[in-house]
This record gives sequence, C-alpha cells and structure tokens, in this order.
Amino acid sequence: MKIERVILPVLMSAFFGAAAAADAGKDLYTKTCAVCHAAGIAGAPRYGNVGDWQPRLAGGTARLYASALKGTAKGMPAKGGNLTASDGDVKAAVDFMLASVKAASASPAKPVAAAPAPAAAPVAAAPKAAAPVAAAAAPAASIDAAANTSGASAADINSFNRLLKPIGKRNPPPAEDGIHDPVNDGTVALMAPLAAYGPLPKSLAGNRVNWVKAIDEKKINPRWDRQDANAAPVVIDLNIVREVKGSMPDVVYPHKQHTEWLDCSNCHPAIFVPQKGANAISMAAILLGEKCGVCHGKVAFPVSECRLCHSKKKEFRPAQATAPATK
Amino acid sequence: MIGRPPWQRWFAILLAFAAIVAFDTDDARAEYGDVVINNYSDAAGMRPAIFPHWFHRVRFRCKVCHADLGFKFKAGGNEINMVKIIDGQFCGACHNGELAWSVENCNLCHSAKPGTPTQVHESTIQKLAPAALQKK
Repeated sequence: MKIERVILPVLMSAFFGAAAAADAGKDLYTKTCAVCHAAGIAGAPRYGNVGDWQPRLAGGTARLYASALKGTAKGMPAKGGNLTASDGDVKAAVDFMLASVKAASASPAKPVAAAPAPAAAPVAAAPKAAAPVAAAAAPAASIDAAANTSGASAADINSFNRLLKPIGKRNPPPAEDGIHDPVNDGTVALMAPLAAYGPLPKSLAGNRVNWVKAIDEKKINPRWDRQDANAAPVVIDLNIVREVKGSMPDVVYPHKQHTEWLDCSNCHPAIFVPQKGANAISMAAILLGEKCGVCHGKVAFPVSECRLCHSKKKEFRPAQATAPATK
Repeated sequence: MIGRPPWQRWFAILLAFAAIVAFDTDDARAEYGDVVINNYSDAAGMRPAIFPHWFHRVRFRCKVCHADLGFKFKAGGNEINMVKIIDGQFCGACHNGELAWSVENCNLCHSAKPGTPTQVHESTIQKLAPAALQKK
C-alpha cells in the first residue's frame, strides 16, 4: 500500500494532499484557534493580519509548528488547548493561518517560491507517504485553496455549533470512518451504516438510531437465539425508581426495554446487585464505563440523553428547615 | 533531504511519525459502538479486527453474544484468537460458513488501519480521556 501511494503521480498527490490538509486546517482553526487568533486575544497573531505574522514568519514555518504543538511562554497553549487535535491537523491549521497572511500580502506568487518547510502540508493529508515529492508543490496549492476560501472564513468563525461534528460526518461509510483501512479490500465490501439506518427511527445521539423504538415498531426483529429465529425474549415489565440528589428528576429504570435485548445474567449480579438500595450508582461511575456505563456511552444511548433516564418529576417541596425529618 | 541540516531531517521524520500515529488513532469519526480489537493482530502482521455493534444488533439481541456466547462487556477483554474462532467459540459460533460467512474472509474483520489500538469507538470514555488513550 505504501508503494501504491508513492507511485501516485506527483501532481495528484500534491493536489489532493493539499486540499485535504487545507480542509482539516480550516476545521481546526474555526473550532479552536479562532477563539484567540481571530481577535488577537492575549497577543495572538490575528488571522489575515500580515503585520502580526511577519516577525513570526522570520523564524521559519517549522518553528511556528513547534510553537503551535508545544505552546509558548507568551501564552499559546499546546495545540491551542485542544489536546485531542492531531499533530497533522494542528500543522494544517498553522498552514491555514499562514495562507491567510500570504494571500493578504498581495504577492501570491512569491511565497510559493519561498515556501520554507520541508514537510509542511502533505503530512496532514498523506501521512504514510514520506512524500518528499509532494512537499515542494503542496504549500503552493494549499495557499491557493485557502485564498479561494478566505473570503468565507470570516463567516465560519461565528457559525453555529462549531464544536459539533458536522452532519455530513455522521455515520460515514467504513472506508471514510477513520478506523477502517481504506486500502483493505475487505473494507469496501462492508455495509455502510446509513444503508441500514434508512427505515429505522432516529435519535439524537449515538448511532442516531432509536434502537428501542426500532424493536417496538417492528422495524427490526433481532434474534433472541443464535439459531432459532422464532425464540422470543422473556420480557419483564418492572420499573425501578431511583431517587436522586439535587434537582434532577428521579431515575426510572425500565426492565421492559432492557429485557427486550438482554438476559438477566448480563446485569445481575455482577453489575447490579438485585436488591433495592444495594447499588451505589453515580454519574461519575457511569461516565467512566461502570454500572449503566457498561453499555450506555459505548453502544446504548450515551449520557447526554439525560431525560431518558431522569424521567420522573419530583414533587415540589418548598424549602423547610424540617425537611430532613420527613425522610 | 540529504543536504539539509540534521535538525530539519529529524523534524521531518518526527512530523511523519506524528502524523501516522495521529491519523491512525485520533480520528473519532467511525460508527458509534464499533469495537477495535488489537490484542494480537499488530504483532501478527494482521490489521486489527473491527466489530460493528450496529450491524449485529440489527440481527441479534445483546443476549445472544453477551450471555449465550460469553462475550464480556469489555473491548479486548475476551482473549479471542483464531483457534477459538475455528473451534466454534466467540465469533466462530456464527461465522462458520453456515449462519454467517466463514473465517476465510480474513479482511472483512481484520480491516482496521494498522496500529489502531483496542477501543470502543466514539465511546464516552474515549471522549473524556483521549490523552490517556493515545498513550497506550
């Protein structure tokens, strides 16, 4: 697979590499960097401001990458404080900001020739190709790409929901999902999630499928037994109410929806002792993958859907000094 | 690259390495609940295996695998290997050429980018502690 990438025509790799890098850089810029670099907070060099960037460019692009990745004493946090960003994206974001000043400096041809960094843009897009060939050509293309879009970027900074995953990136097909290897022949044979989700009821989180409703509405009928398609689950209709602290509504745990999917032995007694009051459950434990979090947050709907569990409204009790006595 | 000063070469190599690591592990776009299992794959020169929860829960209730077949609720916690599978345990209970396609379709499961660590993709814990996960 490395060989295939290396023998790609120079032009192709330069073009696609630079385009993808520019996208990643712009994304990260709008999500993270723009918080300071749009307005110049804490002395950050402003996007598109040649005067801010000129002295910093003197040190070379590689040094700017290092500052962006590791942070500086002047106040730049490592990776802009977004430690989940990949190094490649951080560099692409630097490229994106540099492109803005190069485009603004009204001599678009000059920086192409002067592009200093040996491995600037292509690492973001084509990490496995060592790609010295693409390195020379890519900065030029990324500058062009950024120049074309720089007019729109001002609007993007204040766009809605900049921290959320864009709708177009939900439920991607395996080859584009980031963990499947797109050069693996088996990957292309796999089903794309959206192909299956079409008729299923929607939800706001996780797979964005309401799996419980999907069974209720008989959109799917997953087998209860590996071999026997007619075996039916033993559904227990028993609600357990857990009173919770603070103002949150009490939790109603429905056995019904759970026993549609699971066997008693899946939860009892290892995860939940089948006795009222015997289980210490906290949101912290759930977030860390214990108790309800064994499934919720991994495969069942995540904890962002508070109201699905916290569903029983508390009776209004006016604040009284004697309130504890009623417990 | 040969004529460049050493720090520049070093930096280029570092960049390439960082990009490989970052792009293979730090991309949270895959389907919610996809499990990557990389207990032995990388060491054996195979791509890590990916189990798509969504695909299987359309066809089977959780109980079939997690009670009948004994899969623990823990990514990478079942010590599955190919011998167990061809002997009909774990995945092999269905992936036997009768209920589902058989083990000769290596690349349908072993389809992750090399080096992808064991994980439940898009899981809450992954979003909470990405830095800790990357250190693995």
